[in-house]
Amino acid sequence: MNLRSKPLIAFTLAVILLGTAFVCGCTDSGAVPAAPVETISVTGSTTVLPLAQLAAEAYMDTHPEADIRVSGGGSSVGVKAVGEGTAEIGMASRDLKSSESETYPDLVEHVVAKDAIAIIVHPSNSVSDLTVEQIKSIYLGETTNWKAVGGPDAAIVVVGRDSASGTREYFQDAVMNKEDFTTTQLEKNSNGAVRQTISQTPGAIGYVGLGYLDGAVKAVPVNTGTSIVDAGVATVISGEYPIARGLNMFTAGQPEGLAADYLAFIMSPDGQALVAEEGFVPIA
Amino acid sequence: MEQEQQATAHPPVSAELSAGRNAYLKERIIRSVWFATAAFGALSVFFILAFLIKDGIPIFATVTPGEFLFGAIWNPTGAVPAYGTLPLWVGTILVTIGAMAIAAPLGIACAIVIAELASPRVRAIVKPAVELLAGIPSVVYGFFGLIILTDVIRVTFSIPSGETWLAGSLLLGIMALPTIISVSEDAISAVPKDYREGSLSLGVTRWQTISRVVVPAALSGITAALILGIGRAVGETMAVLMVTGNASLIPDPLYNVLSPIRTLTGTLGIEMGETAIGSAHYHALFGVALLLLVITLAVNISAMMILGHIRAKQTGTGNGPGRTAALITRFRREIWISVAAILLLVVAVTVSPLAAVLLAISGAIWWYLLPRIQPRYRQTAAFGLLYAALAVVLAALAIILGYILINGLPAISWEFLTTAPRALGREGGIFPAIVGTLCLVAGAIAVALPIGVGAAIYLVEYTRENIVTRIIRSGVDLLNGTPSIVFGLFGFSFLVIYLNFGVSLLAGQITLALMVLPTVIRTTEEALRGVPASLREGSLALGATQWQTISRVVLPPAMPGIITGAILSIGRAAGETAPVMFTAVIFSSRFLPSSLSDPVMALPYHLYILATNVPGAETNQYGTALVLIALVAVIYLVAIAVRTHYQKSIRW
Repeated sequence: MNLRSKPLIAFTLAVILLGTAFVCGCTDSGAVPAAPVETISVTGSTTVLPLAQLAAEAYMDTHPEADIRVSGGGSSVGVKAVGEGTAEIGMASRDLKSSESETYPDLVEHVVAKDAIAIIVHPSNSVSDLTVEQIKSIYLGETTNWKAVGGPDAAIVVVGRDSASGTREYFQDAVMNKEDFTTTQLEKNSNGAVRQTISQTPGAIGYVGLGYLDGAVKAVPVNTGTSIVDAGVATVISGEYPIARGLNMFTAGQPEGLAADYLAFIMSPDGQALVAEEGFVPIA
Repeated sequence: MEQEQQATAHPPVSAELSAGRNAYLKERIIRSVWFATAAFGALSVFFILAFLIKDGIPIFATVTPGEFLFGAIWNPTGAVPAYGTLPLWVGTILVTIGAMAIAAPLGIACAIVIAELASPRVRAIVKPAVELLAGIPSVVYGFFGLIILTDVIRVTFSIPSGETWLAGSLLLGIMALPTIISVSEDAISAVPKDYREGSLSLGVTRWQTISRVVVPAALSGITAALILGIGRAVGETMAVLMVTGNASLIPDPLYNVLSPIRTLTGTLGIEMGETAIGSAHYHALFGVALLLLVITLAVNISAMMILGHIRAKQTGTGNGPGRTAALITRFRREIWISVAAILLLVVAVTVSPLAAVLLAISGAIWWYLLPRIQPRYRQTAAFGLLYAALAVVLAALAIILGYILINGLPAISWEFLTTAPRALGREGGIFPAIVGTLCLVAGAIAVALPIGVGAAIYLVEYTRENIVTRIIRSGVDLLNGTPSIVFGLFGFSFLVIYLNFGVSLLAGQITLALMVLPTVIRTTEEALRGVPASLREGSLALGATQWQTISRVVLPPAMPGIITGAILSIGRAAGETAPVMFTAVIFSSRFLPSSLSDPVMALPYHLYILATNVPGAETNQYGTALVLIALVAVIYLVAIAVRTHYQKSIRW
């Protein structure tokens, strides 16, 4: 029980612990490789985000003095952020709402790419095509078995996006005629999460941007009545695919400085090549 | 000490007087400092509450409180927006009940094994393992649940989707375990040896000693452990939102554990970041956060009342646990009968009445036979069950860790650890995220540890129960039950928007510090209380001042407990996603933060993004998960080594 020496050790250790904590916090934040000269913040839609991030990386590779910070949040956040001046560029996977253009009259829209919303199911699902009406009926909760739309005899698991999503908003306008989704809809907060769930769930249906299509899910062609259209770059350019929209970046007034250079880069052939690489549809 | 003794041996009168006055002044100052820290801990929760109310109240301009609470539809962006939170809070309650049904028996059983049965060598392995379970970040649990657990559930029950209430409860149960185990274990270990020796010397078995003497004596601590577990389950965000499907509906029938479900926290997690600031939806989400706080408040208050009741019984009669044990024994029959009745009712409705009858008959046989089995055999059976519970918990840990280790190792390379991410994190490394997480944790602990330890010292050493301490204690309890996502909302609303810090390292550090503060306070308090009063009395009787007593007699033996608290806090802070995702993090950055006002990358958020937002990043997902766990494990190992050192050297 030699308690005498204990307090000394105790306090030394406490001091060391705290000390490391402080030193760690300070040196880490102090050690910066080549401080960037100009910083811009790009925020908003998770649909546009992959494109913005890739373009930012490519741009920063050739311009080491630039720091372009890309973050998600959703279309509404993007519009809000650029409108309030907390970000230089806002991303949105939809057009401005009338309320937004009233609040922020000086926002300038830059269409950086086009995108189709693909209807996706599990690869094992045998459904051959769906009409927009059938999709709507599924999302209303009126059609609940794949058998009713030419698929296997299995319950439909309806997967959608969270209520702040621009993709959901567009889908609700273009497919649902603004009617409400079924309450049994599973809600995911990103395209990637929807894709993940669909790839694991044989009975599920979901919708994602073109950039999120891969072998793990099957995109169901849309039956327009006259023809059966695959979701893809060609059908969006030709205007055949019915569920397609523009992907936008907004600036407050005309862009300046790094923001202008960055946007110009996205619009350039190099930038549009990235658009195609990420699975979106280049603009003209 | 020696100097003072000399001073009293040769007393120059004026020097002695001024020394006394100085000492008195010093004592006062020290006391005030600790009071300030305690007050800070308590006030911050009221401040959080005030801010939530400020941002939540405007929703009632759109809907009435009745509609908000009991409306069955939550659809803020529908053609006609609906803000009914009924499905959300019912979901939260159901998921929590499910989680506790799993975690409470397993947790208490494990705590008993660790504290009473395990050999020191086994304990030296099991205890760190349990702490590692606590260190696994919720986003890793969610990641594991999303990829493995939901799939297993879907196949096992052949249902269309595995994203269910059951998946949420299973994950939450596992996540609540470490809290329940470590706090219960501390409580059981704190039961004085005399009780055990007294009981054993009467000739009863170890199991009888444990079940009739030790556990009842530790009951208040175990209750506290369960409440902390409930708090963890109610407030958990990331894991839940990744596995429960987030369909805003009430399970039909109500006990359908295979239904998707949505919790209050999940709603905040998926909708908060995407909602336009100042919209009705935004205010509705703050309303949801308020509701969440009120639920945790209700849980905490009922818990405090239970604890108060037990304490009153103990101190009221003055002969402690014997009396409590008798009390429990008297109530045990009623408790068992009501639990059995509820269970039978559930079985009768869900499975079939026949099964319920069979269950009732086997239960009756059990009831009849149990007292007629020799205590020795009962002990064997009980110990077997306890060890089985421990095995289940360790197996869960092994499966999760093994799975991430096997899939994550191929991703690890020097380049992965030291370069910035490329192509959305599909390629390149995670260096900025590692640094970001370290900065966040270091800042959070640097703020929380001094304040937390100070507050605990004030509460335990300087005060008797009065109205002030009761307010402080309630504030800390409430802060403890406050869900991490609520800290995130508060940090966003207060630090990021109101104080205009922006999304920044500093905002994240402060938010995390607030979040871990109650853990530090609670564990430190528990540790200080574990020090026998006789030591303090002995020290004071020798003429030591209060601060001398605290710093030289009370704190050293309490160090292992305080360090345990710091360990738990570091683990939580490093792995938390919800508090930082609105306050401190960005999606991707190739630069390290250059000041406290820069946003940072953080490992848990990076994993969340890779798992849910970026297709084709599988390798780096596992790699990030592995690095996150490894980072936490290293922090733990250092801290555990420190604690073991103390435990070896201090025993009374």
